[in-house]
Amino acid sequence: MAGLTALEAIRQPICLLLTAGCVVSIAAVPLTIMHLFGEDGKQVRDSAFAIHFVFGLFMAGHAAGTLLSGEIKKGTASAVLSKPVSRELFFLSKFAGIAAVILVFSVGATIATLLSERVAEKFYYTQALNGYVMDSQTGMMLFFSPFLACICAGIINYRFKRPFTSSAFWMIIIFLLIVLFVSGFFERNGQWRPYSLRLDSRIFAVSILVSLALVVLSAVAITISTRFDIMPTMILCSVIFMFGLMTDYILGRHVAESYVCGFFYTVLPNWQNFWVADALSGGGHVPWIYVLHAGLYAVVYTVGVLCLGMLSFRHTEVK
Amino acid sequence: MDMEKQAGAVIEVNNLTKVFKDFWRRPKVRAVDGLNLDIKKGEIFGLLGPNGSGKSTTIKILLGLLHATSGSVTVLGRSPRDVATKARIGYLPEESYLYNYLTPYETLNFYGSLFGLDGRVRRERIDQLLEMTGLKHAAGRSVGEFSKGMARRVGLAQALINDPELVILDEPTSGLDPVGCRQVKDLMITLAKRGKTIILSSHLLADVEDVCDRIAILYNGSIRAQGGVNQLLEKQESVRLTMPSLPPEVMRKVLELIRKEVGKEPQVDHPSMNLEQFFLEVVEKANRMASQQSGAAPTEMMADYLKK
Repeated sequence: MAGLTALEAIRQPICLLLTAGCVVSIAAVPLTIMHLFGEDGKQVRDSAFAIHFVFGLFMAGHAAGTLLSGEIKKGTASAVLSKPVSRELFFLSKFAGIAAVILVFSVGATIATLLSERVAEKFYYTQALNGYVMDSQTGMMLFFSPFLACICAGIINYRFKRPFTSSAFWMIIIFLLIVLFVSGFFERNGQWRPYSLRLDSRIFAVSILVSLALVVLSAVAITISTRFDIMPTMILCSVIFMFGLMTDYILGRHVAESYVCGFFYTVLPNWQNFWVADALSGGGHVPWIYVLHAGLYAVVYTVGVLCLGMLSFRHTEVK
Repeated sequence: MDMEKQAGAVIEVNNLTKVFKDFWRRPKVRAVDGLNLDIKKGEIFGLLGPNGSGKSTTIKILLGLLHATSGSVTVLGRSPRDVATKARIGYLPEESYLYNYLTPYETLNFYGSLFGLDGRVRRERIDQLLEMTGLKHAAGRSVGEFSKGMARRVGLAQALINDPELVILDEPTSGLDPVGCRQVKDLMITLAKRGKTIILSSHLLADVEDVCDRIAILYNGSIRAQGGVNQLLEKQESVRLTMPSLPPEVMRKVLELIRKEVGKEPQVDHPSMNLEQFFLEVVEKANRMASQQSGAAPTEMMADYLKK
């Protein structure tokens, strides 16, 4: 059932649009940023993480809305729940399917971020050249990979009658991996070199944290969608996202004085735990022990929210 | 009703009431009101009623999808919310609620897997069901591209993949062509002969009359009439005789005798073939001549595992 949910999600055109949009937006960042703020690649990295987060938010909210509340409304939930499937299993399968799609999306966004950071203007020094250089050939390959993926998916659809949207989704991931591999053969100035994959590996830790935040957000979205339609689900997810970003500032200061603030500070997801892009500034990195702690927080929060969702869905009437 | 049908109640509903509430938990609609039902094994039971009479709500309560406000319901001796019981039920919803992005094969494979059917058994049944519903040639197309009738056939196939003991069919012939309607009716009769219990909800009265042993007529959520179809429809005060055509002189004498003995004018007409029979004959002839088609292919076959 989780597999079917994932299949349903990636066969929806919105999923393809968000994935392609995310990759193209991340690819476009180095082309549009005119100032480095004193550090090579920082602006590109921060923007790419933000794009990853925002597109992921829409994908999680939309997928949860269409795949649970949409199914209840459309009637497919009643068809499945009339079979020997418990409500808890149905609900958890929906979450697992959505989380799987979000993780694949995050793989794509992470590769795009790694490549985009490589593309960004950096100081380059050789005997022939001395100055700021943008890796334009990798940039072009990255920018056009979603378009090429769509052309390939069109050919696959014509030749093998496979659904276009899911083929294009997978092709984007495959093309990104190809670009990642091929870029290892180029210098920044476009010259061939012996294979060497020089990427900023510090990006992985931050991307993993953003991906964990999106999984938590998927759990929140699917829990909300047990009671609300797609639009209210999207709106509530956006509100929780905004408040979650500001909890430290709005509530964190008053936790010691107010139980109410303490309650909401605990209950609302604290996205700041997952937003550590600034830690990479000035050559810094995110310690893996921090990633582990944030992962534990994500697991505990997700389990709590899913328990609430299961309780809510147990009493939901499936019309 | 034979002995088997009297053996045990498959569904028992006592004083069932369902009130839908609004966002503030205030009563909004009383969809079912004090309903009592007793459906026996091997019976084809018809639930009749106009739109909004509570048929679909009753069915959804029987399936544990909606919660009863009051009253008691047992299905196959257990609570309708019991997950294991659902393995013995086949349900065709009012609309063919299908995943639009899946093909009929993927759809049936998915529903088969929910019943934990072994891969080989699942593949065999899917092949037989696609053959039976005339969708074998369209097995690779997305269900979202299908006409209502073709989607209905996929819906019917998914309801039968587990070879259920209790089959609940909500408007099964809606959107089907007359050939498909006849097939569904024949299927119901065959299943009932095998001891399966069938609940048919419909407002197509001819379908219900053709196949049902007993019916209940709902209006505004409560039962207004219930009993055997023949028992409810039979006019005890009239008699119909069917005989070969009589010579005019004999006919005149017979009518005169009836007028004299009964004291009323008898009604005389020629029995006619019904439109369904006529249509099926025409389509069968055309089908023998046709070589290719894009819609659901009419077929006489029934899945082997449903006949055993």
